[in-house]
Amino acid sequence: MKNKLSRFAIPYVIWMALFVVAPIIMVVVYAFSSADGGFTLDNFSNMGTYAVVFGRSFKLAFIATVICLAIGYPVSYMMSKEGPGFQRIAMVLIMLPMWINFLLRTYSWMSILENNGLLNQLFRSIGLISLYNRVFGTELQFFPMMNTQGAVVLGMVYNYLPFMILPIYSVIIKLDNSLIEAARDLGANSINVFRRVILPLSFPGILSGITMVFVPSVSTFAISKMLGGGTEMILGDLIEQQFLGGAYNPQLGAAISLVMMVIVVVCMVVMNRFGEGEEQAVML
Amino acid sequence: MKKGNFVFNRVFTVLVFLFLYAPILLLIVFSFNKGNSNIVWSGFSLDWYRKLFSDRLIMQSVYTTLLVSLLATAIATFAGTFAAIGFHALRRRSRNVLTTVNNIPMMNADIVTGVAMCLFFVAFFGLWTDFAVWFNGIQDVIELPTRLTLGFGTLLIAHVSFNIPYVILSVSPKLRQMDKNLVDAAMDLGCTWMQAFWKVILPEIKPGIISGALTAFTMSVDDFIISYFTAGSSSSTLAMTIYGMTKKRVTPEINAISTLLFFTVLLLLVIVNVREARLERLGKQQPAVRRSPTVEKLSAALSTPRGKWVRWGGTASLACIFVAAVALLTGATNAQPVVNVCSWGEYIDESLITQFEEETGIIVNYQTAESNEALYSLLKSGAGDYDVVTPSDYMISQLIEEDMLEELDYSNIPNFQLIDDRFKNLPYDPENKYTVPYAWGTVGIIYNTTMIEEPITSWSAMFDTQYAGNVLMFRNSRDAMATALLYLGYSLNTTDEGELREAFQLLADAKKNGVYQSFVMDEIYQKLEGGNAAIGAYYAGDYLTMLENNEDLAFVVPEEGSNWFMDAMCVLKDAPHKAEAEAWINFIASTDASLANMDYIWYASPNKEALEQYPAYYEEEYDEPLDPEIYEIMAAPAEVLDQCEAYLVLPAETRRLYNTLWTELGI
Amino acid sequence: MSKELIRLRDLCMAYDNEPVLNNINLYINDKEFLTLLGPSGCGKTTTLRIIGGFVTPTSGDVLFDGVRINDVPPYQRQINTVFQKYALFPHLNVFENIAFGLRMQKRPDPSDPTGKRMMKIPEEEIRERVMEMLEVISLKGFENRRPDALSGGQQQRVAIARALVNKPKVLLLDEPLGALDLKLRKDMQIELKRIQQQVGITFIYVTHDQEEALTMSDTIVVMDKGSIQQIGTPEDIYNEPKNAFVADFIGESNIIDGVMVRDKLVQMYGKQFPCLDGGFAENEPVDVVIRPEDIDIVPVEQGQLTGTVTNVTFKGMQYDIIVDFRGFKWLIQTTDHSPVGARIGIKLDPDSIHVMKKSAYSGMFGDYSSFSEEYDELDDASLALDEEESGDEE
Repeated sequence: MKNKLSRFAIPYVIWMALFVVAPIIMVVVYAFSSADGGFTLDNFSNMGTYAVVFGRSFKLAFIATVICLAIGYPVSYMMSKEGPGFQRIAMVLIMLPMWINFLLRTYSWMSILENNGLLNQLFRSIGLISLYNRVFGTELQFFPMMNTQGAVVLGMVYNYLPFMILPIYSVIIKLDNSLIEAARDLGANSINVFRRVILPLSFPGILSGITMVFVPSVSTFAISKMLGGGTEMILGDLIEQQFLGGAYNPQLGAAISLVMMVIVVVCMVVMNRFGEGEEQAVML
Repeated sequence: MKKGNFVFNRVFTVLVFLFLYAPILLLIVFSFNKGNSNIVWSGFSLDWYRKLFSDRLIMQSVYTTLLVSLLATAIATFAGTFAAIGFHALRRRSRNVLTTVNNIPMMNADIVTGVAMCLFFVAFFGLWTDFAVWFNGIQDVIELPTRLTLGFGTLLIAHVSFNIPYVILSVSPKLRQMDKNLVDAAMDLGCTWMQAFWKVILPEIKPGIISGALTAFTMSVDDFIISYFTAGSSSSTLAMTIYGMTKKRVTPEINAISTLLFFTVLLLLVIVNVREARLERLGKQQPAVRRSPTVEKLSAALSTPRGKWVRWGGTASLACIFVAAVALLTGATNAQPVVNVCSWGEYIDESLITQFEEETGIIVNYQTAESNEALYSLLKSGAGDYDVVTPSDYMISQLIEEDMLEELDYSNIPNFQLIDDRFKNLPYDPENKYTVPYAWGTVGIIYNTTMIEEPITSWSAMFDTQYAGNVLMFRNSRDAMATALLYLGYSLNTTDEGELREAFQLLADAKKNGVYQSFVMDEIYQKLEGGNAAIGAYYAGDYLTMLENNEDLAFVVPEEGSNWFMDAMCVLKDAPHKAEAEAWINFIASTDASLANMDYIWYASPNKEALEQYPAYYEEEYDEPLDPEIYEIMAAPAEVLDQCEAYLVLPAETRRLYNTLWTELGI
Repeated sequence: MSKELIRLRDLCMAYDNEPVLNNINLYINDKEFLTLLGPSGCGKTTTLRIIGGFVTPTSGDVLFDGVRINDVPPYQRQINTVFQKYALFPHLNVFENIAFGLRMQKRPDPSDPTGKRMMKIPEEEIRERVMEMLEVISLKGFENRRPDALSGGQQQRVAIARALVNKPKVLLLDEPLGALDLKLRKDMQIELKRIQQQVGITFIYVTHDQEEALTMSDTIVVMDKGSIQQIGTPEDIYNEPKNAFVADFIGESNIIDGVMVRDKLVQMYGKQFPCLDGGFAENEPVDVVIRPEDIDIVPVEQGQLTGTVTNVTFKGMQYDIIVDFRGFKWLIQTTDHSPVGARIGIKLDPDSIHVMKKSAYSGMFGDYSSFSEEYDELDDASLALDEEESGDEE
C-alpha cells in the first residue's frame, strides 16, 4: 500500500526538478558567467562595492523584523486569550488586508506620509508643526517622513506584520492548557508562566514568523522604491535593476541574488541554532 | 486577568488594527471622491466605479489575476494534495529531502524565485527554438512553433509552483494525524482502494486541503514580484497594473476595484465564519454528533448515494477545471489579431487605442516601460515580448546595432510621408529603414514658483544644497548623467571616462548632501503636482500635463543647453504581429491621431501638418486660443533646439561604465 | 492521621448555569489517601480542580488548615497536581521538568537577619532534591531525556516526581493511570501507595475505576451527578453501600426489592430472611444488596430460594452464573459448576444480606438481565476516558 501511494509524489518531483531546482541552477550558472557566456568570477569580485546595500538591507529588514515581533507577539498572545468569537473576527481582520494588493496599500501610505500628505496636513492644522518650530527654533514646513529609512521600515512592518502574527498565534492557540496549569500549580506566577512555559513553547512560531518577515523585507523592491524614493536602495532594488531596471546586467544580478540567498540561509541556520540555544538557556 | 490589563490589551489590539486598516480606509474613502486626488476630498461621487467598468486595462488585469489565481489554486490544490499523500508514503529519508526542496520557494526571497524562473524560461525558450527549427527541418508533418514567449502560460506555471508548497504544508499535518488503520478499516468494510481514497482519506484531510487552497489563492492574488518577472508583456496581473500606475498617478479606479474586492472577500469570510460558528454551537449542544465514530461514518458513506455523488461531483469539477484550463491556454493564442505595444507612461491618448481597435479589429495590448534603459532590460531579459516599441534616439541606435529591430515595410505605412522632412533620416536611423517618429521634445527643469523665489536658469539648481530635500532627479542613467554633464559644460555624448566620472561625482556628492528627495520617473507627477517637492528635471510635454493640475509650476530650458530627443516607433526583430504593428504605426502617424495625441500628451508631433494645425485645433476644442508660450515649450523653436544636443548611442564600453556608475550611485 | 487538613463547605459549581456540583461537604485529613470515585460527569474532576485552585467555586468555601483559600491562586497553594495526561513540559528535559517548581520557589535568605530578603533555592540543593526524587520514582539516569522519549509509565512517574519535589502538603492526582495499560496500571497502583507512604502526605486521587479506589484508598468518596453518594473506608463502601448506585458502582451486586419487616428481618420474594441491619421503620420498603460471592448454592430442596441457571461463564477462579429467580436475574459467583437449565437452590447467611434505604437510584441497578453488556463495560476503561468537565473557564 505504502509504495503504491508514494507514486503520487512522482509528478510533483518532476515538477520540482523543472521549476524549482533548474531555475536555481540557472541563477548559479549566470552568477559565474560573463556577458559573453564564459566562466568568470568577476561578478563576485565587485561584490564589495555593494556591501553598503547589503548592510542597509539587512539593517532595515532586521529593524522591521524586531518591530514586527514586538507588535506581533503581544497581539497574538492577547488574541489567544480572547473568546472564540473575538478570535474569529480578529483572524479575518488580519487576513483581509492581504486581499488589497500590497502596492496599493503602500501607495496609500505615500499619500499619508508625503510632505504635503494627510499626516503633515493634520499636524499643521492642529498646530503641531508650528509648536515644534517654536520649541526647537526650526522653520519646518512639514515633518519629513517620506523617502526616509523610517518610511521603508514602516512599509515593511505594515506589509509583513500579518506574517508574524499568524504563525505565532497558531502556535500559542495550540498550547496545551494543562501545561500552563501545571506551571501555575508548581508555583509559577503569571510572569513566570509566560517566561518559562509559553514563550519557549511558542518558539517555533516565532522562528517561522521571523523568517516570513525577514526574507521578504530584505528582498523587497517595490516598498523601498515607493516609500524610500530610490535614495535608500536595498537588495531587491539592486537585483531588479540588473534584470528589468536601468542597468542591464543579469550576471551581476544573479551573483547578488546568490550571495543574498547564501547569507539568508546562513542567518536562518544560525538563528535556528540560537533558537535551540535559547531553549537551553531557558532551562538553566 | 486584571481589569487594567484587560483595558490595556484591548487598546493595544485596537491600535494595531487601526495601523493595519488606516491606509485601506483611506483607499476606500477616496474611491468615492469626485476629484482624482488621494489627499483632497472634493465631494462624493460614484464616477470611479462607473469608469472602472469601462477601463479595459484594469478590467483585463483583474480578469487575468482572477483567472491565474483560480487556475493556479485549482491545479496546485490537486497536485499538492496528491504530492502530499505521495510524500507521506515515502521513507523518512527521501521524504526529508523532498520536503526541503519543496520548502525552497516558500523560504526563498520572492525576487530570487522570480528572477530564477525568468532566467530558466528564457533559457528554455532558446533551447526550444533550436529544437523546433531542427525538428521542423527533418519532417513536415508537425509544425512546431519556433518562438515561445513569457506570457499567461509561464505566469501560471510560476503561480502553481509557489502555491503547491502551501498546499502540501497544510495537507501534510492532516495526513500525519490520520489513523494509519483507517484505509485498512475501509477496505476491510468492503471499499475498493479508490473508494477508500475518496471516502476515507479525502474527508479526513479535507480541512487541510481547504485551508491550503485558501492560502494558495490568497498568495496568488497578493503576489506581485514573481508575476512581475514571469508574466511577460502580453498578460498583466492587477498587481502589475497597479505597479505601473504607482509610478505616476494611481487613478481612483484602482481604489474602486480594491474596494469592491475588499468587500467581496469580507462578505465571503463573514458568511463562512457565521456558518462555522453556528455549526460549532450546534456541535456543542449535541456532542454526540461530533463523536460519532469514524467507522459509523464510513459505513454511512458507503451506503448512501450521496457518497457517490460527491465522488463524481469531485471528479467532474476537477475535469471541468482542467478542460477549461487547456481551452483557455490554447484559446488565448488563437484569438483575435493582437498587437503588443510598449511605450512610456502618460504617453498616449487612450481613446486612440479604442478607436484603432474599432477601426481595424486588432486588439492593442498597451504596456509601458519606465525608461529606455528599463525597456532595454525588458527586451534583453526576454520579459518584454512586444511588437512595437517607442524608444528614444540613442536607444534606437543601440537596438539597431544589436540587430534587435526589424526593417519596416513603408508601403504599409503611407502616413510616413506626413512626417516633417527634418525628422527623417536622423542620425540614429540614417537611411530610415527602421523607424517612424512618434514625438519629440526637450528636457528642462520644472519648479514650483511658490516654493522657489528667484527664477531658475541653470542646471546648478539640480546640485544646489540650498534646495536640499526638495529636488527630484531622474531615475535613469542617461538623463541623470546628462544634467551633470551639461552643468559641467561637457558634451552629452562624451566618452571620456574622466568627464563621466566627474559628472558622476557631482551627482554622488549631491545625493550624499541630501539634495535629492528621491529619484523618480513618472512619480514626478504626483510629487510636483502635490507640492511635495520643489524642483525636478523632466520632459517638457510632461510639464505641460502637470501644469493642467498645478498652475504654480514653471519650466525652463537651462542656459547651459539641454537635450532634445526624438522617440520613434519601431518593430522588434521577429515580431509575431508585424502586419498589425505596421497598421498601428500608420494609424498613429496620421494627422488626426497626431493632433489628438498631442492634445493629450503635450509632446510635439513630428507630423508636419499636425504640428502646424495644433493651435487651431486647440482653439476649436477649448474655445480659447492656445498660449504661444505653451506652444513654444511643447514644440521648441529653432533657437532653443540649436542650444540642445541629441543623444547619440555610446560605445559599448561607455555604456558599461554608465551601468556601473549608475548602480554605484544607487548604493 | 486524624488532623483535618482540607474542608469543603457547601461547595457548589455551575458552568453556564448548568450545575456541576451540588452542596459538596467534605473534610480531608492529613496524610490520608482519599479517592474521589464516580462515573464520567459526576463532578469529581471539578472538585479536584477547585481544590487545586484552577477554578473558583460558584458558592461555598474551601478551607485549608482552617483558612479560606477560595481566591488563592494555584501557585500560592501548598498543593500540587499530577495531571491526567501528565502535562510534562515538552521543551524541558526530565531534570528540568522536575526542577521547575523548585526554581519558582523563593524563601527568606538566612543571611538576612530581618528575614525580608528572599532568595532562590541554590542550585546544589535543587540538584540534590531532584536526584532524590528521581531515586524515589526509580528513574535515575533519565534526567537528560526529553519527555517524548519516555514511556507512558515513565512520564507518569516524572509527573509525580515533579509535583512531589515541592514537598506539597497535598498531592492531587487526576486519573493519573488512565492512559496506561492494565499491567502497568496495577504496578503503578502499588507504586503510588508506596510513594504516598514514603513521603507521608495527603493524596487526593480522582478515578472512575472502583478497583483502583479500593486498592489504594484510606477513604473513598463516591460521587454521582454532582453530589456525594457515600464517604467511607473501602470496606465500608463495599460492605455497607448506602444506596443502589454505590452498591452497583462498587463491585458486583444483586439488588432486590424488599420490605423490612422489623429490625434484623427482611422479606424478599415473599419469604423472610434474618439479617444484621436495623433502624428502619416497620414494613418499610428497602433495597436489599446481595454480593454474588456471598451466595451459597445448595440442593433445591434445601434452598431458601430456587431458580434456573440461564448462563454460565468460566472465570478461572470461579464460575459466574446467572440465575433466574422469578424473572429477576442474579449473578452468583461459585466454584461449583452448574449446567445451564439446572434448577438450583440458594442459601443466604444473615451477614451476606445488606439492607439499604430506598433512594433515587432504586430499581435502576442490580438486575443481570442485560448481562453481557454490563460485563463489557466493566472491562473497558477507555470508554469512560473522555472526562466530563471540559471547563477551562477562569
